[in-house]
Amino acid sequence: MSRFIELVGVSIAGLTARKVRTLLIMLGPILGVSAIIAAIGFSESSKGDLKSKLAELGTDLIVVSAQNTIGGVGGDPKLPVEAVARVDRLDTVAHVSAVIELPGIVTLPFEGSREFYQAFPVPVIAADGRLPAAVDVDVVSGRWLNDFDNANEARTAVIGVELAEEYAYQRNEVRTITLDGINYAVVGVLDKVELVPSLNTTVFIPPATAVADWGVEDEAPSRLYVRSPGATELTADVLPTVINLGGPEDVGVEVPSDLLETESQVDSTLTVLTIAMGVIALTVGGVGIANVMSISVIQRSGEIGIRRALGHSRATIAGQFLLEAIAVGVLGGVIGAVVGVAVVWALAELNDFVVVLNRQVIVLATVAAMLVSVLFGLYPSMKAARLEPLETLRLG
Amino acid sequence: MTTSPDVLAESGALLELDGVSRVYGVEVLVHALRDVDLKVMPGDFMSIVGPSGSGKSTMLGLLGLLDLPTSGSIRIGGVDATQLEDTERSRLRGDAIGFVFQQFHLIPHLTALGNVETALLYRGIKARDRRDRAMGALEQVGLGERYDHRPIQMSGGEQQRVALARAIVTEPLIVLADEPTGALDTENAANVMDIFGSLRSPDRAIVFVTHDLEIADLTDRKISMRDGQIVGDEQQVHETSTAR
Repeated sequence: MSRFIELVGVSIAGLTARKVRTLLIMLGPILGVSAIIAAIGFSESSKGDLKSKLAELGTDLIVVSAQNTIGGVGGDPKLPVEAVARVDRLDTVAHVSAVIELPGIVTLPFEGSREFYQAFPVPVIAADGRLPAAVDVDVVSGRWLNDFDNANEARTAVIGVELAEEYAYQRNEVRTITLDGINYAVVGVLDKVELVPSLNTTVFIPPATAVADWGVEDEAPSRLYVRSPGATELTADVLPTVINLGGPEDVGVEVPSDLLETESQVDSTLTVLTIAMGVIALTVGGVGIANVMSISVIQRSGEIGIRRALGHSRATIAGQFLLEAIAVGVLGGVIGAVVGVAVVWALAELNDFVVVLNRQVIVLATVAAMLVSVLFGLYPSMKAARLEPLETLRLG
Repeated sequence: MTTSPDVLAESGALLELDGVSRVYGVEVLVHALRDVDLKVMPGDFMSIVGPSGSGKSTMLGLLGLLDLPTSGSIRIGGVDATQLEDTERSRLRGDAIGFVFQQFHLIPHLTALGNVETALLYRGIKARDRRDRAMGALEQVGLGERYDHRPIQMSGGEQQRVALARAIVTEPLIVLADEPTGALDTENAANVMDIFGSLRSPDRAIVFVTHDLEIADLTDRKISMRDGQIVGDEQQVHETSTAR
């Protein structure tokens, strides 16, 4: 052990004696490692906002839609009336909300806008009181539809946040909108639903009102929003069976965050390319180490000769030079990692990205720099060990 | 390692060349040494002299275990060094022999102390002891106060004295000096030779390889070489040496 410490001391003295040259050798690993970290870090950070959004929204929302009419032909596809109660019984489900689509209703904020809104209709759905909890979004103004509204078939409506902007709706404003000529009071605005953007431009009314006003036969839902934290996939798998009790599989299940997740995946071709570039940079750096150290061995042949004369073995000499190479690799790798992280941070800051740093990449790149320096340090070290002291000492 | 009696060969020699030949080259053979026998005895203060090409540099390389003979054996303390692996031979060299070269061969990026300490590395000696011993050797050559100077900050004479300190810090059996005053002016040369004189001891041999007859005349034993062979081995008696 003490021998090793002495060897380390000798190697460090050798490196610090020629600072500029040491720095130049180190440039190889520095560039290689920083290139790898910066390239991967940048491409990951460019998707970082998506990833962080995903983390914020959660990936546990499941949307269940009726694909076909159950128990009849024609009309809008519906799920069984009991669907909500059946889903609610599942242990893995935290929240479930049912909505009924009401197609063909022309919604107007004021009479003069008929032409526009006939061309671009606003969807209307009947939603129960649990929708905000199911999509994990609150109202930004007023209140959500409640049991009182439903029991009294009240003509109350909540609108999506983008619709509110479109209508220039002021916070807590008393306002009516007309649904095919029937006035509804706007009682609240639902905040932005990132995972289901269509809800942002929708008008929500109580289900009982939908039955009374719009000829809906019963409260059979067209869609369910289900929250299942921790068991999303499992729940998504069993939902069709649970809802239909083994009946015809006419239930569509989707997890909206899956799409976002796919989008947030870093382009693998680009990653492979950047890693390849980094590896090339590291290899070139390694060749630099071999090159400069070989020259160094020739320049220091006198030192090697005298060390041999003083009793240092060939193995010790090889160890000394190999340790110098390793020190260069480790230090260069660490500096490269710091530079790489700094570059990623700076680029992310400039482009307004969320910084994403892969710890594994940083560690791997640094270790790779060390391995490369060992590999390319071997040749000059062997060369140093093979020098004949008698030839290098130029005896008189 | 100190000069204890148990390392001495039966013949009493510190170092013994027995039928040593050294041939260089592959196709064109150069016989640098031919069948040389030599015993270096404890207390020897000797010189190996001869014109260039006489084989004295080859002799130095072999005496210092820096080279291996083509045939014959080199015994140090009864051990045949030609049969050892590099690591063991290097250790034996470091323990038994101290070198002083014409060109000093100090390591430029190390201080005087660092240069002397280098001879004590990889021997399981604690850093503190290494430092103390190196400091002692520097003081012995009168450079204790210059311990933190680098070679470039010192004169040729001082550098050679550092080299001397490095040669003796391991307390070797034999000090091998290759033209030690060749790169020095008269005054520094005399100074260095004085130090060599002060290093003489009954247990140790000091061997000069030189073509400088003035140095050779200062020694007690003069080996003359010519064409790779020893042609003379004479004892010299002079007043200065007996005074020491």
